[in-house]
Amino acid sequence: MNRSLGEIETLAKRAARGAGLSWGLSDDAGRAVRWLASRQLPAADVFVALLDQNDTCVSADIAPVSLGGDWRARGGRLCPLSSGAALSDCADRLSSGAAIQMLGISFPLLVVPFAAWAALHIKAPITIGWDAVEIATDGHGILVSDPDRQIETASTARLRCTCSNQTHDLTGHPGLRGVVSEKSWETLQTFAHRTYAPATEASRLRGAGAGTSDND
Amino acid sequence: MDAQPTSSSAVPRRDPAKVMRLARLGSFHQSRLSFMRILTRRMSRENWTFSRPVFQMDARGVGHAVYCAHTPDRTYSLVAFAHDLPADKRSDRVIAEAWDSTFTLFDGVPDEADIERLRANVPLQEAGRVTLSELSVSRANRSVRLWDYMVECLADGRQPDAGEVAAVGYLMRTTAVYGSGKLGAADREAIADRPECAAPFQIEMLSVFLTRTYVRDLMQHMADQKGGARAVRLDPKIARSMGIGNSTGLGMAPFLLNHPVLFNNWIAAREEAISRVRSLPAASTAEITLFRNLLARAVLSAERWTSSHPIQIKKLAVLRRDLGRLSDHVDQFGLRQNRPWDQVFQWAESTLGLDAQECLASLMLEPYGDLVDDLADTMADAQAQSLRIDGAMPVARVRAILKDAYGWALEVNWDKKAHCARAWYVSEEKLEPRLGERFEEPIAPYEQPLAPGRDAAELVKALDGWHDDTRIAEFLLVHPNHRHTVRRIQIVDRAPYAEIRDNTIGSDLLPIDMLRCKLSFFGATQFDPRSDRWVRICMFGNAPYPEDLGPQGDDFWSYPSIDRGTH
Repeated sequence: MNRSLGEIETLAKRAARGAGLSWGLSDDAGRAVRWLASRQLPAADVFVALLDQNDTCVSADIAPVSLGGDWRARGGRLCPLSSGAALSDCADRLSSGAAIQMLGISFPLLVVPFAAWAALHIKAPITIGWDAVEIATDGHGILVSDPDRQIETASTARLRCTCSNQTHDLTGHPGLRGVVSEKSWETLQTFAHRTYAPATEASRLRGAGAGTSDND
Repeated sequence: MDAQPTSSSAVPRRDPAKVMRLARLGSFHQSRLSFMRILTRRMSRENWTFSRPVFQMDARGVGHAVYCAHTPDRTYSLVAFAHDLPADKRSDRVIAEAWDSTFTLFDGVPDEADIERLRANVPLQEAGRVTLSELSVSRANRSVRLWDYMVECLADGRQPDAGEVAAVGYLMRTTAVYGSGKLGAADREAIADRPECAAPFQIEMLSVFLTRTYVRDLMQHMADQKGGARAVRLDPKIARSMGIGNSTGLGMAPFLLNHPVLFNNWIAAREEAISRVRSLPAASTAEITLFRNLLARAVLSAERWTSSHPIQIKKLAVLRRDLGRLSDHVDQFGLRQNRPWDQVFQWAESTLGLDAQECLASLMLEPYGDLVDDLADTMADAQAQSLRIDGAMPVARVRAILKDAYGWALEVNWDKKAHCARAWYVSEEKLEPRLGERFEEPIAPYEQPLAPGRDAAELVKALDGWHDDTRIAEFLLVHPNHRHTVRRIQIVDRAPYAEIRDNTIGSDLLPIDMLRCKLSFFGATQFDPRSDRWVRICMFGNAPYPEDLGPQGDDFWSYPSIDRGTH
């Protein structure tokens, strides 16, 4: 169904929190899914697959062990959200021409929005590549080269992120709506539901505050 | 006017540590920079025109109507559906399932197919879906007693008593007015580059403005149906006195915490305006006359402002006393000294309560539209999507910001029950924000991140042992649970009014303080708390109707007219 970007972001954020991510990372996740969805990329499907995959993981096991050298997880595959957030946090490193490499990372598409925010910060386009996929973004527009249809891949051995000197024709500017399949939407709602407190009579009576009759 | 003060001599903006306390924010008053007034000024300046292409109502008042606002560039249409709601369904809870009227603001002019699509969705509110063509969704219930009384009077050929009307002030109360992508409506990006949407909430305010006209027309229609040839038209003076009510619960309070940059921009605009006016070396006779006239009207407004809530009754008594003292002071000393506004403001700060201080701050801006109205365009958050954390920031800098902006929070003993007695959460039922008792209800695991002070204090502890030169990105890799707090701290570093500098989970928290602050920026008056966490207000009371707008329109409509005799 065609949805507003705000709806997509809000539900993705709640789902991330329901899946156990920190509030700050959940904020980033919501914005990342919105960013991808507005570029008509399969954001929600990939995001749902990640949440399903990592549902029982300890976050420290799938975050980069260190920001020095190539990034890798202590155990299992790198989480693209914690890795992406670290990439955006460390955007300045890319402006010096250095590459950031992430080894053994899940759902690499989810790193792209964070690279976009890094690009906005350093005011230069960034290229993200894995397998045969190459994506360039200046933060607003996006150019995707995906000859072998690997954009939704569940994992890759190596993701490489560099500041790009080439001038790309970055045509894929954001749209005003996003499409999320019913199945993904329902899964997001299931994760989000974990963040809602069960209703009790006490909360009904005093929690919300408003009265119950409007007949005056 | 080119009265921009030079920075060397300007009175600085007030310190955020002073402004951003809940007691002060909860004493704010509407001003020239309130969103309703920004909208009516633009409508007048640009000569917007209005039309009502559809008004199809049956004898019971069931049907639909379309009200169009034509700007120089485009048309917006309020599509209103009128229902016949049994009394037992009339609830002002945001979670109600049926209303007297439901609305959407359509981008353009809807055709028949649009109307039918909207008829199948808008009355359902949360259970319905709207599209990119719709900019807001809202609903309203009648004030039953006043509605019935007014229909009765007009049908019977007589005007309603102005006092009876003033006691309520409106014929319908809206609950939520949803914009920005809610229920499938267009996101703000879709309209953000339109000049009429440059200031915040202009779409929502336009929707309420048109709703007010619809409500007047619908009530008249019912009276005409009932009274036939005997019915009379409502006296325009009485119509003018009426606004649209609004019932607001807790949902608005988290908004201020969840949109720190936007909130900063509202406060910063008002503080900049206050600073500019305080920096003026002198006031002209015309400016002084206008100020004194509006002060008298503000006194009248405070006199007519009623509430049955003990907190508000007390605040109103102090406000009335203080406005009397302010009037006396101005009478006695005039405004002829050097920097007259700064002088009177300093006097108020040392003499009057917070409510009157903030009322004066808003009043002082009134004669200076040329000096402050440009700030309206700085109040939105153009960068809403980019909230990147600067991971290169050294830990020492984070500590310094914490000390500077969260000093108050570092002195609170957060282990003490009274200081963390409450928790904000989202209920499973209808997904609305609620405030609960942490130690009495099983809600702590569901707590929303709406206690920045406590979280800042926790961050300070977590930073213990981290070297000053370490980049904060290294810390966040190990402590992702502090990521939201680091982001806030970096926002406050560049947007000093972004954060409420008070405890938002203490046992003495009054959520109505947050509601009043937000509603004052909307331009609401007659703030009337019904408990510590929900409130009724009046919007567009005394405002022009579409036919009253124009370049000669009354820019000061938010203050009751002394001459008019009605509210």
